[in-house]
Order: sequence, then C-alpha cells, then structure tokens
Amino acid sequence: MNFFKTFKFDTWVKPYIKQYKGLLITALILGLFTSFCAAALMFTSGYTIDKAATHPVNILLIYVPILLTRAFGIGRPVFKYVERLKSHNWVLRVTSDLRTRLYKTLESDASFFNEHHKAGDIMGLLSEDISHLQNLYLRTVFPTVISYLLTIIGSIALGIFNPSFGFFVFLLLFIEVFLVPLLSVTIESARRAYQKEVKSDLYVQLTDNILGVDDWVISGRKADFKNLTTENIHNLDQSKNKSKAFRRNRDFGLQIIFAAIAICFLIFTNLTMTHNQAQANFVAAVVLAIFPLSDTIIPVSQGFEEWPVYKDSINRLNTIKPIPNTLPKQVELKPNNFKSISINNITFEYDSDSPILIKNFSQQIQKGEKLALLGPSGIGKTTILQLILGDLSPQQGQIQINDLDISQVQEKRDQLFSVLNQKPFLFNTTLMNNVRLGNETKSNIEVKKAIERVGLKDLVESLPDKYNTVVGENGSRFSGGEQERIALARILLQDAPVVLLDEPTVGLDPITENDLLETFFDVLHNKTIIWVTHHLQGISHVDHVVFMNSEKIEMEGSPKELYKSNQHFQELYRMDQGL
Amino acid sequence: MIDKRLFRLPGTKKLLIMLAGLTLLQAFVVLFQGKYLAEALVNSWEQKSLQTIIYPMVLFAVAFLLRHFFNLINTKIVENYASKTSENIRSQLLDKVYNAGPEMISEEGTGSLVTSSLDGIDLVENYFKLIFTKLMNMSIIPPVLLVYIYFQNIASGITLTIIVPLVILFMIILGLAAQSKADAQYKQYTILSNHFLDALRGLPTLKMLGLSKRYAKNIYTVSDEYRRRTMNTLRIAILSTFALDWLTTLGIAILAVFLGLGLINNSFPLFPALVTLILAPEYFLPLRDFSNDYHATLNGKNALNSIFEILDRPSTAKDDTLVDFEWDEDSQVDVKNLQFTYKGVGDNEVSLNIDQLKLAGYQKIGVIGKSGSGKTTLIRAIGGFLMPDQADIKINQQTVANFKQANWQNKLTFLPQSPYLFAGSIAQNIAFYRPDASMNEIKKAAQAAGLQDFIDILSSGYDTQIGEGGRGISGGQQQRIMLARAFLANDRHVLIFDEPTAHLDIETEYALKKPMEKLFQNHLVIFATHRLHWIKEMDYVIVMDNGEIVEQGTPVKLSSHNGAYSKLIKNMRGDQL
Repeated sequence: MNFFKTFKFDTWVKPYIKQYKGLLITALILGLFTSFCAAALMFTSGYTIDKAATHPVNILLIYVPILLTRAFGIGRPVFKYVERLKSHNWVLRVTSDLRTRLYKTLESDASFFNEHHKAGDIMGLLSEDISHLQNLYLRTVFPTVISYLLTIIGSIALGIFNPSFGFFVFLLLFIEVFLVPLLSVTIESARRAYQKEVKSDLYVQLTDNILGVDDWVISGRKADFKNLTTENIHNLDQSKNKSKAFRRNRDFGLQIIFAAIAICFLIFTNLTMTHNQAQANFVAAVVLAIFPLSDTIIPVSQGFEEWPVYKDSINRLNTIKPIPNTLPKQVELKPNNFKSISINNITFEYDSDSPILIKNFSQQIQKGEKLALLGPSGIGKTTILQLILGDLSPQQGQIQINDLDISQVQEKRDQLFSVLNQKPFLFNTTLMNNVRLGNETKSNIEVKKAIERVGLKDLVESLPDKYNTVVGENGSRFSGGEQERIALARILLQDAPVVLLDEPTVGLDPITENDLLETFFDVLHNKTIIWVTHHLQGISHVDHVVFMNSEKIEMEGSPKELYKSNQHFQELYRMDQGL
Repeated sequence: MIDKRLFRLPGTKKLLIMLAGLTLLQAFVVLFQGKYLAEALVNSWEQKSLQTIIYPMVLFAVAFLLRHFFNLINTKIVENYASKTSENIRSQLLDKVYNAGPEMISEEGTGSLVTSSLDGIDLVENYFKLIFTKLMNMSIIPPVLLVYIYFQNIASGITLTIIVPLVILFMIILGLAAQSKADAQYKQYTILSNHFLDALRGLPTLKMLGLSKRYAKNIYTVSDEYRRRTMNTLRIAILSTFALDWLTTLGIAILAVFLGLGLINNSFPLFPALVTLILAPEYFLPLRDFSNDYHATLNGKNALNSIFEILDRPSTAKDDTLVDFEWDEDSQVDVKNLQFTYKGVGDNEVSLNIDQLKLAGYQKIGVIGKSGSGKTTLIRAIGGFLMPDQADIKINQQTVANFKQANWQNKLTFLPQSPYLFAGSIAQNIAFYRPDASMNEIKKAAQAAGLQDFIDILSSGYDTQIGEGGRGISGGQQQRIMLARAFLANDRHVLIFDEPTAHLDIETEYALKKPMEKLFQNHLVIFATHRLHWIKEMDYVIVMDNGEIVEQGTPVKLSSHNGAYSKLIKNMRGDQL
C-alpha cells in the first residue's frame, strides 16, 4: 500500500507531528469538544422538552438541562472558533520549521541549482509542496483524527450501556470513517494521477496557444489552433465526470449508512428505554444527538481523496537530501593578500555519461588583470566560472588561488569573489535593502554612494519613494540595464578582489550595453575581472581575450594583438562593429 | 448577489428553473423527515410499542433518502452545467486569443491576463457549482420550514424569524471589519507570504554574497512574523463564522428553553415542540453552508470577472477585404500617415507616427533605432499584429484599413527575437506553416537552414520532441528551426525579422549568416536589428526614433552625411580597437 511506503522513510511529516505537541493536542481536543457540544446541545434540548412534556411540578426540575443546553449552545461555536485558531497556529509554526529546513537543505547543496534541477521552476514547486503539507494537516489529518476519536469514544460510551449495540454502531461508523474513505482513495488515486497528467499536457497546449499566437495567426491554421486542446479537454472532462459521479454516489451511500444508524437508534431506544417515563425522557435526547455528528463523519472521505496530491509533495521533499560537507580544512585568505588565480590543465564533465565539457584548460590570472572569455553557447564558459568559484570540482587538474586549492577558501569565499549574472536576482524589498546585502555593515551614506557610483542616483531620486522604492518581484520595477546596475552597486559594497561577470549585458541594446560596460570597467578598475561575454562589444576594456571552442582554446591574446594577427578574430570584430 | 452577466451564458435560466423545482421538493422532504422523526420519537416517549413507530420510522427513512437523492440529482445537474459552461467560456477565450491575441499580448500586461484567465477556469467551475445551489437552498428551504413551524408553534416561528436578520447583520458588520483589517495588511501580507519563494530563488545570490547561512535565521523570523499576522487577521476573519455559529446554536438553545417552559405550562403537546426543535437546525443549515463556501465563491467570482473583462474587450476581426495576390518583384506596399497609440499603458511606451513608407519587390529593408524607438511596434503593425488607429495602406494598389488581412498574413514569415517552439517534434515545428509538407521537403528545408548536423546527432532525429516539456534547445538552433520553417514555406515571400540574433553569441551569429543570406533571395525582407553588420546586407534602411521615421534611404546615402543614421551607428559601436 503506497500509503505506508510513502511514510516509511519520510522525514518531512512524521517528525513534525511531535513538534509543539501541547498545541497539537489542544487543537485536537478542542475539535473533539466542538463535535461533542454539537451533539450535547441536541441531547440536552431533546431531554429538556421531553422532561417538560411530563409537566414536572417544579420548574427547577428542568433547570439543570436548560442551563446545560445554553452552555453547549455557546460552547460549540466557542470551541470551534478556538480550535480553528489553534490548529492554524500549529500548522503555521510547523510551516516555519519546514521552510527553514528546506532552505537549509538547499543551501548546503551549492551545485543544486546548476546540475540537478535545471528543468522547470523547481523552487516554485518546492514552496508549493510546503503549502500542500499545510493542507494535509488542516483538511485531512485533523478532521480524520477528530472523527476517529469521536467514533471510538462514542462507541465505548454506548458500549457501557449496551456492549452489543455499542459494537454494532462501531461497525457502521467504521464503514463511514474508514472503509469508504479507503475505497475512495483507492478508486480515485489512479484517476487523479491521470487527470493531473492530462492537465499538465493541456497546460502546455494552452501555453502553445497563447505564447505562439503570432505564429498561429500568420499560419492561418485556426481550426488546428482550436483543435490542439480538444482531445485533452475531452479526456479530462470524461475522467472528471467519472470522479464527480463517483463522489456523488459515494456521498449518497454514506448518507444511506447514516440513515441506517439513525433507524438503529430509533429501534434501540424504543426497545430498551420505554420501561418507565424517566427512561423514555431520554429517547429524543439520544436520537437527536447523533444527527450533528454527520458533519464530522461524512467529510472524512473527501479529505482522504486529496491524498495523491499530498503523496507527490511528500515524496518530492523526501528526495532532497542535505549534501555532507566534504571540504578540506579551511584557510582564511585576506582579500588584500590575493595575488593570482591559476587554472592548471583542468578537465571537467558533469557525469560519466555526458561528454567531456572542458579539456586541458589552463589560464593564469594575475591581480588586477581583466580577462574576457568567449565562445559559442554550451561550450562551458559558465562552467569555468563555477569551477573557479569552487561550486564544481574538476575531474583532473587544479584551480588555485595564490598557492591554495580553491576548495580551501570556500568558507569565506564571499570576501574573495563577487559574481554578476545575466539576470541578477533582486529581492522583493527596497532598493536600499537590496544593495546593502553586499555588506550589511555599511551605513546609509555608503549605500547611497554606491548607488551613485553605478549611475543610478538621478533615476532613483526622481522616484516617489526614492531609495526606499520596492524593486518588485524579480526586480520588475526596473529595466534590465538598471537591474544590472543595482547588482553592481551591491558588488561595490561587497568589495571582493575578484569579480566574475557572466554575460551581464546579453539582450541589451548596444547603446545601453556600451554605457553599462563603461560603468563596469570604470568602477571596478582596480579589481581582477573574469568576464564571460557573447560578443565583442566593449572588448577593448580587457587585457586578455580567450576564445574557447569545443575541447580547446581557439585563440587568445590581447584584443589589439589578435586584431592585428588573427584573421578570424578580425572577421568577428568587423562583423560586430558592422565595418 | 449573482452577476447579471451570468444570465448571458447559455442554459443558466433553464438551470435556475430546474433547481428551483428540485429545491422546493427538497424543502418538503426535509420537512417530512423532521415530522416523521418527531412522530416516532413522541410514540417512544409515550412508551408505545415498536409497532407504533415502524410506520413513521419508515416514512422518516424514505424522506431522508429522498432528500439526499434529490441532492444527488441537484449536484449532478449543477455539475453538468458548470462543466459545460466553463468549457464554453474556455472556447470563447481561445477564440478571443486567436482573433485578438497578438494585439492583447503586445499591449503590456494582457498576455499574463489571458494566461491567468485560462488558469482561472477551474475556479469559475467551482463558483458555478456552489453559487446556484447555495443561493437556491437559502432562498427556498428556510421559508418553507418556517411556514410549517408557524403552524406548529407561533412563538418558535417568531424566534426563528428574528434570528436570521440578526445573523446577517452581525455577519455584515464583522465581515466588513475583517475586510478592512485584511485590506490594510494585504500588501505587507503578500510580500511576507512570497518571501520564502523569493529567498529560495535568490539563494545562489545570497550564497555569492556570503549571506546564505545567516539568512536561514531570517527565513524563520519572517515566516513566524507571517504566522503572527495571519493569526491576527484570522482571529477577526473567522469571527463572522463564529457569530453565525453562535447565533444559530444559541437560537436552538433558546428555542429549546422556550419550548420546555411552554410544555410545563401545558400550552401545547409534545409533538409540535419536538418537530420545531428537529427542524430548527435544518432551518439554519442553508445559511451556514452559504457562509462556509463564501470565500471559495469569491475567488471564482473574481476569476469570472477577469474573464468577462477579456471577452468584452473590443477586437478587430481579421479583415478579409484584401483580394488574394502573389508577392513578386513588382509588388508594392504603400503606407501613409499611419498612427498608433498604446491604450492604457505606461507613458514610456512609444506610439507610432509614420508619415510615409514604401515596401517594394524583393527589397531588403533594415529598421534600426535605439531600444524603445518603435522598431518592434512598426514591425508588428506591418505584420498585422497591431491595429493602427488610422492609416492609408495600399497593398498592390488595393486599399485596406490595416495589415490584419488573411491574404497578407499568408504571405508572411515572422521571426521574432526569441522564437516560440511548439510542443512537438522538430519536423512538426519546421512544418508549422505547411503541416502537409512531405518529409523530403522538411529535410531539404532543414539542410538549407544548416540544421542537418544538429539533427544527425539526435537519437530520434526529426522526431525529437522539443518545446515545453521537451528537449531544451540552444538559441542558435531555435533560430535555425525558424529559418527552416521559412525555407519550407516557399510560397511566402515576405520575411519579417525582429532582432533575430540579439541573444546569440557572435560565433553562432556568424554561422547563421550564410543560411540567412540565402533565405533573403527572392524575398521582401523587413529586418529590425541593432546588430550593425546586418545593415551591410540591406539595400534600404529606416532609422526610427521616438515612434517616427527620422531618416530613410540606402545605407550608402545615409552614411554619406552626419544625420541620425551616422550618429546612431557611432553610438552603437562604442570605443574601437
């Protein structure tokens, strides 16, 4: 049964049930009280009027049931209210722990972002998984546990009066809260999985419809455009209709069993409680008390049905494992003492199945030198930057900083290296906060100065919120060039001696690109720069150009020399300049 | 409470009538269920034998089952309606995308709107499922029960009548309080709730900055802050449910007490008291159901709103006034006085204002200008993706209002900066304009585009699945697939390029040049670019600035004087070696 398999090696759900135990138990007990009060309200009301109908001589005789009726009438909503707060509180507390753990796990695996999970928005998926776990607790675990407790306690209470009737009712309830839910998850699991698959196909097709709409319109293939999704929509509808029909019939079935329970109670009370009036006064009380319980019992099946969604999330989270730290003893290298980086004859492949990406690559970079790395996409330029950082390790050869292996300086790496990517990541907070991430000890004045140096002062001061402008999701408030400048300001504060630039200007128009490169090399003039670029715009800023080609360096040298001596370089340069 | 536009949807009125009938039936069986249950209980209370309760008990069971059976039918009808109607809406949306998609997507922001609307259809379906049943239940069942209760016991009737407006009043007051509290916190709230995802996505950056370890503490702090705020909001938000619960259960308790006192005073027998007590929860049930699903319906309502917004957008239908023609070396397009303004977007968008433009024969026309000068807008207007506000357009002497003409668009091949690959095989993508093309033709086109080497190393060759969910493909190969598509569509003689090589590295671009030059032959080429070397391949250049053509002519002529063209080129080149 996949249920047990899922939990056998689970470390994302089970351990957290034990967390904040007090709060969890409080929430469950409150849930139980809510159901109890609902039943007790009908019980005492029923008793009150039955008793009253015997015309007791003194009103005080029904005083206690009246009081209890009021108490349960108030108790039910109050318990329910507090229960909802407590259960949410518990779940959100666990969520904070889960998030911290997920973050720490991912943090420990530097290569995670490069190798394992290139496809899709894995981060979005993982953070959704955590919300799924929230729902697992709120929509499935809590209601189920409460209904089970209720079933057991109710059956035992009945069993005290009449063991065989208690057992009989237990059996009926067992069908309602266990067998039918189990049946529904068994039947629906496969269907749900199928629907999920069709739905993701359908999503791809709808994406094709929308993002490819220009091509569709020009092609004139209107019928194909509409038909693209028809089959999947049809299949999905059919499967969904089956699910719906199943659900309707199941709920009807649950009600039939519930009717049976009610009838049993009617007969039982008539047979056993009609020997004297004092007993008979409890008949309505006992029968009416069972009706509110359907609110607790019937929804259990629905909660079970969502299991497949939770299962996927639990499984995915469980596949992420923290990577043990295998770094050698760390040595602290003061930024001021940085002298050189030497790449000695390195060879690298992602795994033994994929082709060798980098073969016998060597390069010496002295302090203050500016190096440009060119080559067709997919040739491993970015990989070389990752190797230099120590995020990846070469299979052969060595990368050294001064005379230390790069893996020996990982702990304080941020003091040595800064990185600027194609799409620098900006956090959805203020501009100030984003820049200050470079060095959190810097004062407001220093942060503003960095923003000024990267040429953003005028722009920022023209904004209504000035330096406190929120940059928006992924920095969307600012243009691509501006985002690069913000990231550059961050790097200025970080003040590491080596700056790695990974195609920071791709996709920008040449005028913006020229301005940006001008700024880069101006403010970073005393840094060592390794710059991966895709064309020759701004190449005059560097001392040394390396053209990588599959398996070897195609040409290298200072740009001026290459322009004089190398014909291919000349051709490329002339093409780039439109000469 | 129901959006009037819902009645526009087919089948809504019929559904409502059917539901009304069914709900009325349901109301009566609920009533009978209570009545016979009460009868059975009264008999037991009178200590009568089992035989005396069999008859009411059976009728109770029948009523109970009928009630849930009607419920089943009710759900079935509504679910069918909901799925049909939401399919209908999806289909309308797709039609809209086809008819007006390019315009909508060109206008900033609407593209995502369309995507989210399609996503929102599930919400809409759920909305349909809930809204009709719940509203119908609420408006039919309680009144029927109330009338019966009045006949049984006037005091109870009055009690129940008074409670309902009280409940609604409380819910409105508390609901409003919760709403204003939630509104005040909303912005902060979304930032907090997205913070985790933001941090995960930014993890590599944090690592580079040496902050990633310390930031773990921050994750917890922010998440806990989020919890605190959620709890604060929740405390008020669920107050309205609490009020409803409280008033209804208290209502039942008060009723029980009243009935008890009445019975002691001998004002009425047990049966009316019991039946009133049994029916009281049923009386409140529809109201509670409605409020439970209120939030779910709210999401669906918003989704439906945004869908209606898109469907109600004005769109120009594809104009088919242009009589079919063949584009050859003597063909000609004359554009005069073309004006276009982006509607309702930021002020930094460029609008278009073209005095005069001529495209003729197999000319190669470069369109240059700094970013934001209107190159793309012009090109999209010529492609028929944007509707000009006004224009004098003559295509081969035929006057048309815009370029959105079936017989113009089927002469075009459009190659954008980031080409869109469809989920499917390489062969299908190449044959997109000509799905009936033979494998031989496809291979020839792929060869012409220089794709052969790439396809040869793929284990599934032309059948390799690409696009969403398929194999990732480098930018250079993507462009080659587009070129192959253009080679294959040899009956389309107009090529429109929008910065096709902007993302490519210089050597890939260099390698692409040859097949592109080959493609240029016997085609009218309109080529927007900021890569300077392409200008050498052009025999006419249009320089754009601020939405206007500031200079046009042959490259030789334009470079001979220090005009807009020369200045632009100088700025683009930057420092030279």
